[in-house]
Amino acid sequence: MSYEIREVDGAAIVALTGDVDLQTSPAVRQKLLESLEKYKRIVVDLSAVHYIDSSGVASLVEAFQVSRKKGALFSLASVSAAAMRVLSLARLDKVFTIHPSVEAALAPQG
Amino acid sequence: MAQAKASKPLSAVPASSPKPSSENTMQDHLWLIAEMTREFTASHDYKTIAQSALERITKYIGAEAASLFLLADAGDTLACSACYGPVDITGLRISAKTGVVGRAVQTREGSMVRDVSQDADFGAAVDAKTGFKTRSLLVAPLAIGQDCIGAIEIINRLDGDGLFTADDLVLLETLARAAALAINNFRLTEKIVAQERQQHELELAAEIQRDLLPQPSSRDFPIHGINIPARSVSGDFFDILTLPDGRIWFNVGDVSGKGMNAALLMAKTSSLFRCLAKSAEHPGQLLNAINSELCETNSRGMFVTMVGGLFNPATGRVVLTNAGHEPPLHFDLRTERFSAIPADGPPLGIAHGIAGPDGYPVTEIDLAGGMLYVFTDGLTEATTFGGGMLGIDGARALIRDHAEESPDLRLKSISGAVKLPGQSLRDDLTLLVVEDMTMGRASSMPPPSADSMTTDGEILRLRVPARPDRLKLIRAAVEHAARFVGANEAWTFDMTMAVDEACQNIIRHAYGGRPDAGDIVIDFIRRGDTMEVHLMDFAEPVDPSKIKSRDLSEVRPGGLGVHLIKSVCDEATFVTPPPGVGNLFKLTKRLQINIK
Repeated sequence: MSYEIREVDGAAIVALTGDVDLQTSPAVRQKLLESLEKYKRIVVDLSAVHYIDSSGVASLVEAFQVSRKKGALFSLASVSAAAMRVLSLARLDKVFTIHPSVEAALAPQG
Repeated sequence: MAQAKASKPLSAVPASSPKPSSENTMQDHLWLIAEMTREFTASHDYKTIAQSALERITKYIGAEAASLFLLADAGDTLACSACYGPVDITGLRISAKTGVVGRAVQTREGSMVRDVSQDADFGAAVDAKTGFKTRSLLVAPLAIGQDCIGAIEIINRLDGDGLFTADDLVLLETLARAAALAINNFRLTEKIVAQERQQHELELAAEIQRDLLPQPSSRDFPIHGINIPARSVSGDFFDILTLPDGRIWFNVGDVSGKGMNAALLMAKTSSLFRCLAKSAEHPGQLLNAINSELCETNSRGMFVTMVGGLFNPATGRVVLTNAGHEPPLHFDLRTERFSAIPADGPPLGIAHGIAGPDGYPVTEIDLAGGMLYVFTDGLTEATTFGGGMLGIDGARALIRDHAEESPDLRLKSISGAVKLPGQSLRDDLTLLVVEDMTMGRASSMPPPSADSMTTDGEILRLRVPARPDRLKLIRAAVEHAARFVGANEAWTFDMTMAVDEACQNIIRHAYGGRPDAGDIVIDFIRRGDTMEVHLMDFAEPVDPSKIKSRDLSEVRPGGLGVHLIKSVCDEATFVTPPPGVGNLFKLTKRLQINIK
């Protein structure tokens, strides 16, 4: 698992690659919470996530909750089929804001 | 009013005057009050009690007559509900705003009128009607806190000098207070009993309704349905009826409106369907007949929307009629595409012959190995976890997402996506699926091919240290084992996830997250069309009752693993471990074979 954080128009794009599991999710959680310290808008790019387990989903939920408390925007973009399967089984696909692509996530909100 | 006041206050009565001929002592008073209070509170039949109480108090004071009035007609009138004396005035109504009794009710104060001819408030109309001659009056309100529910009056003192005393009024007021409480209690009890009776009847109706719905179909039956009422009774229904030749009638209906009326019309319509289906040739004819029957008697503008169909499991073809109902969806498993079968006719029960001279038109479709979903707007208009309406696109997505589950589980998953645990739905929800099994379906497996038959039994055994950094390795092993038995991609993903989550639980809970605390042994075993995965650890036995699935209505991190495992496996249970093993967790999942 690897991650890459870049800044676009004041938003942090957190791109995760590989497997987010019990081994790697603590780092993901930490990166997401750190990003929320600095940015008012976070987009998590899940296009290259081959696998995400319940602990990875929990990190996303926690970041989502923190963002709401801080009034920051938190969304997922380009969610891979594997990640989507887990999110929908967890019934969280309707909870998160999910964009088809990072570009769509950064587009001005209608 | 000035005149009225003059005769009312107790101070107008010479309090110092000795009690007339009455020989009642204070002890007698207390005795009477105690006795009557006991009677009032012990009985629920206040009318009989009031009757005997009036008699007792009239005799005790030495008066001629007494009556008890209760407010009626939204407080405009007083109705006599019990009386004692030479004239029976039970049922008589007098004004609650005027007269000596009305005054007691309005002011919530008792009064003593020694000579009615001197009281401007006294109305002689009742005497004129009954022929009774009222000379003096004692009135006490039936007051409860700030409310007043009526009054008691005692008429014409006979004993002594014929004059009521201040003592008499105090006694009457005390008794009136006890009587008021008793009547109020009686009324509250009556109300509660009526509510309970109503609730009980509603529960009975709901039970009868549930009995009208078909029993859950067996796993390999081609039609399955689910009905979740928003209230205890439902306006939705579905039915499944197999003909001797193997063809199957089915329907899904929705009665306009909710509650008891809708439930009764539902019961009628579903009986008509059952009864008339046996002789109908096709659904168009059947819905015509149901429409005619409903129009004979239905009123109050209620109507029924319905999809009725006749499915032939041998050919995979369905003949359908739609009477103003939500269009059913045909889901083609190979292309994953939906096609909506639109509404053809008007709802049932509005007017005779409303569907035109040819009646309700029919559509015949070939399910082509796919599925037909029929549902009520309780599904499409339901609120999702995110707060929005599910809509037809949401319904399609759910159907697609759960396509590979067994039909029973699939209907539960789809309806579960809009029904929050412990919360009721806004509208009744009914969902029915017809599956064409002539080509084999996604949720079941075609007969095993000759070469995969040889792989029955143990496929792989894996022993790994229970550490997070070995999870990826475990997942890779599961993927390879799944590929080895020919499982398709979706099956492989789900099983890999289930094993991963189960291993996480062993690492975190059984071994308490301690590094190098022990090993996990994983066995992959094939039993015909089913795969079993046994996960063994060597930790202290865990209490399975403490391992709970997460309540999905709650958005919070953690506790998800067990839910994910249960969502994708047919079975996930702790079984008795062999000697030397701490826990044995067994996952079972029917195989879905990759068809090239």
